[in-house]
Amino acid sequence: MKFNKKTAMLVSFTLGTLLVATTALADIASKSGYDQLKDALKVTAQQCSEKFDSYTMDLSIEVKDNGKTLESSDSTQKYDRSKPASENINSGSGNQNNGAKQYSYSDKTSMISWQDNDPTYYVSEYTNPEERQAGFFSNPFKESSADDFEKIADAVVGSLKDQVVVTENSDGSLGLAGSLTEVQIPALVNAVVSLQLKQQFNGNRKDMPHLTKDVFVKEVKGTAKVNKDGVMESILGTAVLSGKDEQGTVHEVSVEALATLSEINSTTVTKPDLTGKKVVENITNENPSSEMSNPEKFMGKFKNDILIEKDNKFVKVGERFVEITQIDNKTAAGRYYEVYKPGFEEYATAQRDFKFAAKKSEQQGNPIYDITTESMNTGKGIIYFDQNGGKINFNINPLSNGGLQFDSNFSPDLD
Amino acid sequence: MEKIIEIKNLTKLYGNGRGIKDINLDIFQGDIFGFLGPNGAGKTTAMKIMTGLIRPECGDVTIFGHSVTEEYELAMEKVGCLIETAESYSYLSAFDNLKQLARYYPDVDHKRIDEVLELTGMIKYKHEKPKKFSLGMKQRLGLAAAVLSRPKVVILDEPLNGLDVEGMIAIRKLIQHLAEQEQTTFFISSHLIHDVELTCTRIGVIYDGKMLNVESTPNILKNYATLENYFVSEVERNGRVSSCAS
Amino acid sequence: MAVFQAALVNEIEKLYKKKKALVAVLLALAVIVIGQLAIVGVRSGFGLRGAGSVEFPMLVLSVVVNTILPLFTALVAIDSFSGEFSQNSMRITLTRPVSRFKIFTAKITAIALFILAMLFLLLFFSMLAGFIFNTNSATWVSVFQTVFSYIVSLLPMLVLALGVVLLANTFKNGISVFFVAILLFIGLKVLGVLFSQYSSLFMTTQLDWYNLFLINSFPLGKIIRQFLIMLGSCIMLFTAGFYLFDKKEF
Repeated sequence: MKFNKKTAMLVSFTLGTLLVATTALADIASKSGYDQLKDALKVTAQQCSEKFDSYTMDLSIEVKDNGKTLESSDSTQKYDRSKPASENINSGSGNQNNGAKQYSYSDKTSMISWQDNDPTYYVSEYTNPEERQAGFFSNPFKESSADDFEKIADAVVGSLKDQVVVTENSDGSLGLAGSLTEVQIPALVNAVVSLQLKQQFNGNRKDMPHLTKDVFVKEVKGTAKVNKDGVMESILGTAVLSGKDEQGTVHEVSVEALATLSEINSTTVTKPDLTGKKVVENITNENPSSEMSNPEKFMGKFKNDILIEKDNKFVKVGERFVEITQIDNKTAAGRYYEVYKPGFEEYATAQRDFKFAAKKSEQQGNPIYDITTESMNTGKGIIYFDQNGGKINFNINPLSNGGLQFDSNFSPDLD
Repeated sequence: MEKIIEIKNLTKLYGNGRGIKDINLDIFQGDIFGFLGPNGAGKTTAMKIMTGLIRPECGDVTIFGHSVTEEYELAMEKVGCLIETAESYSYLSAFDNLKQLARYYPDVDHKRIDEVLELTGMIKYKHEKPKKFSLGMKQRLGLAAAVLSRPKVVILDEPLNGLDVEGMIAIRKLIQHLAEQEQTTFFISSHLIHDVELTCTRIGVIYDGKMLNVESTPNILKNYATLENYFVSEVERNGRVSSCAS
Repeated sequence: MAVFQAALVNEIEKLYKKKKALVAVLLALAVIVIGQLAIVGVRSGFGLRGAGSVEFPMLVLSVVVNTILPLFTALVAIDSFSGEFSQNSMRITLTRPVSRFKIFTAKITAIALFILAMLFLLLFFSMLAGFIFNTNSATWVSVFQTVFSYIVSLLPMLVLALGVVLLANTFKNGISVFFVAILLFIGLKVLGVLFSQYSSLFMTTQLDWYNLFLINSFPLGKIIRQFLIMLGSCIMLFTAGFYLFDKKEF
C-alpha cells in the first residue's frame, strides 16, 4: 500500500508532465492562422522587395453608410524592379479630386505626374539615382524596429490569434479568413477603436453621417488568399461601425479595403511619351541632393540692389552683380562687381570688382561652394545655389562689413 | 487481553539529535496508560506518530490491528485524541467546532455534541467562539472533541494543561468513568506525577527518547512509596548509566 | 466517500463562515457596479455604446479573470493551507479518521467550488446589470456563449489555485506565499508578452482561453491542446502539492 501510493504519485506526476510537454510541443509546432498570416505577409514583402522583377499592387477602399457608397478610392501601383520604375494610378469618388484619375510615373531619374482632366505633365528630374532607389519598395520587416513591432502586435492580438482560420486548397494555395463580431471583440478594444472612429464621423463633413450615440464596432472581417509560393495575392478587410445620429437613425458604416497583388513578373511600366505634351518641369524639393542637376543653369548674371537710407526713405544707389562664368558639380568661378547710378558716385568709394573661384564644400546635402578670391586674399566666403528658388546666395566676409547693408541674395539678371 | 495499541521499533530522530529511538510498547484493552518523562524526552513525538501527524523513520504503530502509516482511516476510526495543545477554529462556535468533527462519524449527532459539552462543563459556552476562551476552556473543548465519537482509545497529551483544580478533578473522573463504563483505553502523557498516580493503571517511563520501563501502578507502589520516587530513581539510574557509558 | 463528503462539507463550511469569502463576494459586486457606472459614463460622456447587454458580462469576465478572481483564488487557497498550518488548526482535521489525500482533495474541491460560485455570481449580476442598463443586444447564441465562457474559465483558475497550493505547501509563511504567487503571476504575464509564440504554455495566458470558444470557426484542435495542457498542469501540480502535503509534519 505504501509502495502503491508512491508509485501512484510518481505515475500521475509523470503523466501530467508528459501531457503538458507533448501538447505544448504540438502547440508550438502548430502554427495558428495568425502566424500563417504573418508568414504570408513576410514572404510577400520579401519577394516584392527582392525577388519579383515586376508586379502590380492594387488597393481599393470603399466606405458605405447603410449600403450606400459614401466614398471610394482605388490606387494601383505597378513596379518594375528591373528598370527600376514604377507607375501609380489613383482614382476616387466622393470627396477626392472630383473623381479624376491621377497618374504618376517614376524611375531613377525622373518623376512624372499628370491627371485625367488636366493636360499638363509635371516632370521632376533627379540627380542622384542611388538615393532614389532606396525610396523604392523596401521590405518593412527588414526595418530595425520591425521585431519590436511584431512583438507588440503579437501581444495585442493575444488570444485572438486563433480567430484566423486557414483552409488549404488542393493546389497548395491557402485561404485565410477571420471574423470578429461584437461579443468577440474585447470590450476595451472596442471602446478605444469606437472612440477613434467616432471622431471621424463628427459631422464636419456633410456627406458623412454624424454619429453621436451608441457607437460601437459591430464586426471586423477579413479574408486573404495565399498562393502556393506563400505569397499573399489578395487581402480583403471589412469593418462595420454602428451608431446613431442626432435624429436617432441607426447608421452602419462599413469600411472595405481590398489589396491585391497581381501580374507578378508580367507587369510592364512604360514611361509616358511627353512629345507634344504641355510639360512643366520642376526641381525636386522633397529630396535635396548635394549635387545639382544641370548646374549650367546658374551660368550668367545675378544681381541685387544697393540701397541706402536717405531722408527717411530707401534710395537705390546702384546694383551688385555676381556673374558666374563657369560652374559644374565640383567647382565654380566668376566675378563680383558693383555698378552705381549716376549722381550717387560718392557712395562708390568702396566699389568692388573682383574675380573669384569656388569649390564645392565638404558639407553634405547642399550645393554650397567655398570661395577663394584672386584679388583679395582676405576674402573668404560661400556661395549657395538655391535650385528651387533659382537664386544664389553670395556671402563673403569683407563685403558684409561695408557701410551699406550688404544683401547676399542675388536674383538672376534676365534682362 | 486484547492488544489495542502496538508500538514496534518506533524511531524518529530530529536534526538536533532529539527524538525517539526504537520504542516498543503494547497497550491492552482497559488500560489507562500513563506516559511519563521529563521535558524533551520524546513523549509528544511518540504521540504525534501514533496519531499520524508525523511519519516515523522506521517502525510502526498499529491500533486495532491497523497500521497508522498505511491504513490511517481504519486505524483512527475508534481513536480520539488531543495532541500538544487543544486546537479549535477561532471563527466557529464551540458547537460548530464539534459539528465539524461529528461529520466524520455517522453515529454522532447533535445530541451527542451537547452530551460531551455537558460532560466537560462547556455547555454554557456552546455558541461562543473560542477566540474569547481561556486556555482551560480551550482545553475542555479539546477534551470534548477527543471523546466526541465515543472512541475505544483516547490519546491525550497533557490533558490537564491549563485546567483549574475543579477541572482536573472533573477530567480525572471523566477518564475513570469512561474506562470503567465503556472499557475505553487511555494513553495519557503528563508531567503531573501525582495525577498520573491517581488515574493510571500502567505506567511507562520514557527518557532521552528511549523507553525505560513499563510497570503497573500497583506493582510500582509496592516497591516505592510514591510514583515520584519510582520516576526519580528510574531516571537517575538511567542518567547514571548513560553518563557512565559516555 | 462519506468521509470525503464530510471533509468537503467541513471545508465549505469553514470557507463560508470566514469573512474572506464575504469580502470576495462584495468586491465582485463592486466590480460590476463600477463597471456599469463606467459604461454609463462612457455612453453619456463619449457617445459610445460601451457594451451591450451581452458584452457587459464579457467585459466583466475579461477584467475579473485577470484581477480579482486570481487574487481571491490565491487568498482562499493560501488561507486554506498556510493559514491552517500556522494556527496548527490543521491538526483538528488530521487526527480524525480521514486520510490526508481526502483532506487535500476536499480542500482543492472547496476552492474549485468557491471559484465556480464566484463565477456564477459574477455572471448572474453582470447579466442582470447588462439587461437592465445596457442596450439590448442579446441573442440566444450570445447568451449561451457568455454562460459557457464563464464556466470554462473555471479550469485555468483551478490550475492557478493548484499552483498557489503547491507554493503554500512549499513555503512556511502565508505572506511569502502570497508575494511569490503575485511575482510569479506578473512574471508570467510579462513572459507571455515577450514570448507570445509560447504564450499558450503560461497559465496567465490560459486565463483568457474562454475566447477560443467564441470564435465562429471553433478551433477544436487548439481548444483540445489548451485543455490538455491545463489538464496536465492540474495533474502535475495536484500531485506535487499532495506529495508535499502528505510529507508535512504537524
